Amino acid sequence: MVEQFLRLKLTLLANTFRRGPLIASSMALVMLYSAVLFIIAIVAVASLRETTPEIAGVTLVVFGSIVLFGFLIMPLGWNADDPLDPRRFSYLPVSRLHLALLLLLGGAVSIPTIMLIGLGVAQVVAWSGGAASALIAVLSALIVILTAVVGARLSSLIAARYLSTRRLREAFGIIAVTVVIASLPLVVFLALSDYQSQVLPALRRAAAVLEWTPLGAAFSAPAASAAGDSGEVLAKLSISLGFLAVLAAGWYLLIGYVLSRPERSAVETYRSGLGWFRLMPATPLGAIAARSLSYWARDARYFVALAAIPIIPIGMVAALLVGGIGADVIAWIPVPVMCLFLGWSAHNDVAHDNTALWTHVSAHTHGADDRWGRIVPGLLVGIPLAIVGSIITVTVVGNVVALPGLIGLSLCVLFAGLGVSSVSSAAFPYAAPLPGHGAFIQPQALVSNAATVQSFTFALSALFAVPVLGVVFFNPFTELQPNWAAFLVGVPLGLIVLVIGVYWGGRIMVRRGPELLALSSQN
Amino acid sequence: MPDAESSKPVSKPDAVLAGLARLRALAAQFATQAPSVELAESAVELEPQTEPAPAAEPLVEPEPEPKPSPKSESASDAVVAVRPTLSHDLEAASGDIVLEVRGLSKGFGDTVAVNDIHLNVRAGVFYGIVGPNGAGKTTTLSMITGLLRPDSGTASVNGVNVWDSPEVAKRSIGVLPDRLRIFDRLTGSQLLYYSGVLRGLDAPEVRKRSADLATAFGLDDVMGRLVSDYSSGMLKKVALAAAMIHSPRLLVLDEPFESVDPVSAATVTRILKQYVDAGGTVLLSSHRMELVQRVCSHVAVIVEGTLLADGTIDEVRNGMSLEDRFVQLTGKNSSGGGLEWLSSFSD
Repeated sequence: MVEQFLRLKLTLLANTFRRGPLIASSMALVMLYSAVLFIIAIVAVASLRETTPEIAGVTLVVFGSIVLFGFLIMPLGWNADDPLDPRRFSYLPVSRLHLALLLLLGGAVSIPTIMLIGLGVAQVVAWSGGAASALIAVLSALIVILTAVVGARLSSLIAARYLSTRRLREAFGIIAVTVVIASLPLVVFLALSDYQSQVLPALRRAAAVLEWTPLGAAFSAPAASAAGDSGEVLAKLSISLGFLAVLAAGWYLLIGYVLSRPERSAVETYRSGLGWFRLMPATPLGAIAARSLSYWARDARYFVALAAIPIIPIGMVAALLVGGIGADVIAWIPVPVMCLFLGWSAHNDVAHDNTALWTHVSAHTHGADDRWGRIVPGLLVGIPLAIVGSIITVTVVGNVVALPGLIGLSLCVLFAGLGVSSVSSAAFPYAAPLPGHGAFIQPQALVSNAATVQSFTFALSALFAVPVLGVVFFNPFTELQPNWAAFLVGVPLGLIVLVIGVYWGGRIMVRRGPELLALSSQN
Repeated sequence: MPDAESSKPVSKPDAVLAGLARLRALAAQFATQAPSVELAESAVELEPQTEPAPAAEPLVEPEPEPKPSPKSESASDAVVAVRPTLSHDLEAASGDIVLEVRGLSKGFGDTVAVNDIHLNVRAGVFYGIVGPNGAGKTTTLSMITGLLRPDSGTASVNGVNVWDSPEVAKRSIGVLPDRLRIFDRLTGSQLLYYSGVLRGLDAPEVRKRSADLATAFGLDDVMGRLVSDYSSGMLKKVALAAAMIHSPRLLVLDEPFESVDPVSAATVTRILKQYVDAGGTVLLSSHRMELVQRVCSHVAVIVEGTLLADGTIDEVRNGMSLEDRFVQLTGKNSSGGGLEWLSSFSD
């Protein structure tokens, strides 16, 4: 049984990479990124050996508490079905205790846990100065790893049980993304300030509290040992052991509860009125737009993908800053990239409808109505984003002259992206996540042209940025200020692509309606 | 409210009654929704079927009403109350063919799903298509409604070819597909609004009709909930309401009674009968024989993509019950043999 569980978990891990080239490559990137961070963190922690026990203790308590907190809280926002949900194994003829242990074992085989073990080892290295403190460090590392594994399982179970309504989980996911984004400036600030004089005092204040909480107690026990206070060591170890015992008991009891109760059904919310439908005109175009807007707000497949859009340029800007690229060049990156992704995000919109597309086919909806309606949300979000985002960018960079050019470029890629998407979602739909699934759950498909369509539409949309950037940097209209010239080139160019895309895509849509419907029902 | 409803036996709850009455008026208006070219003839088909009294009778009665055309009592009924201008010149077209299917065929790869089917469905007829699982019922209905392109053959609604002039033909068809999704992240009222507006209705009209339909189908309490939270029976009802909202001339319903509870099935049957009595035409598929025998006036039997029999219920069942006749026609009464191990229990 143990062997089967381990094999199951390893297969699940391996399958992460078998969900289509886009997901596999982005997963590989994420893992590479975290591996680099991991090595930096390990080296940093191990090198705490060279500092005083006091500094090492303070640092480890604060960052250790954050890591442990992450283990407890992240599963709550994890927007996917838990493959180790105890209910899935309820049919197995094993006792509850046995099942609880098996699931813990399965949960322990995960990349975060492996990293945590590495961190524990590094922490032991950091305290290896004295035999007593090293021994206590081994003990506290064991407690921390067990706490993290049990705590993570317990929170996923709580999430599956009590955050099972779509809305709650999605809200949690958004909060998590926001916290991550919001903490990035903090990290930059930490990296830029002087550790000894500026960061340490703040850490000391935090550590004074954290070392007596269950999160930080285990991490601070070796420091207490190094300081020679064995009473404190005992107290802190018992706090952390007590916490572990409470989590384990909670885990064991909740498994029993979950296995013996029917699944909790979603809380039904009642909405009076028509929402977006009231705000939009009562025409097919308006209704389709209102439907798209409602879906953007309600369907995880849309808004999770959208929530990712602001993150991408942050990463690009950070990379370019590190690479020493000047601010006047970087200013051209974030807003246009966001607009590009926003426009591109509609490139498989029809497939997201799945077989509900029959509503449009049987009403013989005009192609252009259908196309315009589907891109209204993109326009409603994208146009203010292009204008406001550009204003913020030029203010931050201090280059107000660039404003028209930046707006022109952003609107151009937004419009062009939506235009390209209008054609491709009618002409080249590919298997999309089913309604009700998460945004990144790629459906099984024998032959999927997903990668081709994704890269082709993206490249084509990006291509329309080239003439605008060309005008900005090598202005051929000498009598015009280059940024105004870019505006005057970019906006009409984008609009032309948009209108052509909408009407061309609309014609394809009407002509191939039944075939699109047949395709979507294979999905 | 049209006064025709006052003749009903007052045993039903008031809300349902009121909803039905409004729905009836609504069904009667469908002529005005038809494209203007056909306005004259569409008016024509309204009346002859509208026997006012039988509409209200208890629906359990199995009497398959014969053609009501000879009773040419010219209507004191809802239709007149709503559209007095349309009530003249109503006799002529009682025998009009609403749906004409000529040689529809469809294959998927090597298998032939539907093989050369011919059907004529007249106005004011309650037409049932029965057949075993996988007989090609859904495929046939999908080709009739313009959702699945046939390999050969034609389907015409009111003489308009569905595949040549879909923009005209589809306006007269209301569709309830089986096993296709609907936009279930909308609330019930949003879904009805969406369907109505896509069919070209204006906002006040859609709101009024959604309210009427919700009342008639007993969906009032759930209209504000997301359709994804509906039970499967509620899902069928709201989809059926969405199919009727533009008051089509022809309703094509794929398995409208599947997973619908008996009470709701009675409501649905009653609404459909009223619609048919007001001159509408219903084409439905089902494998509940006793229900088809009770509700439908005509029936077609499809087995393995081929039409084996069609006509009035009485013609087809030939003295037997429809179910027995059906089993006889399909010629397969599998014995259930070969499962001897099932009786040697494992513990």
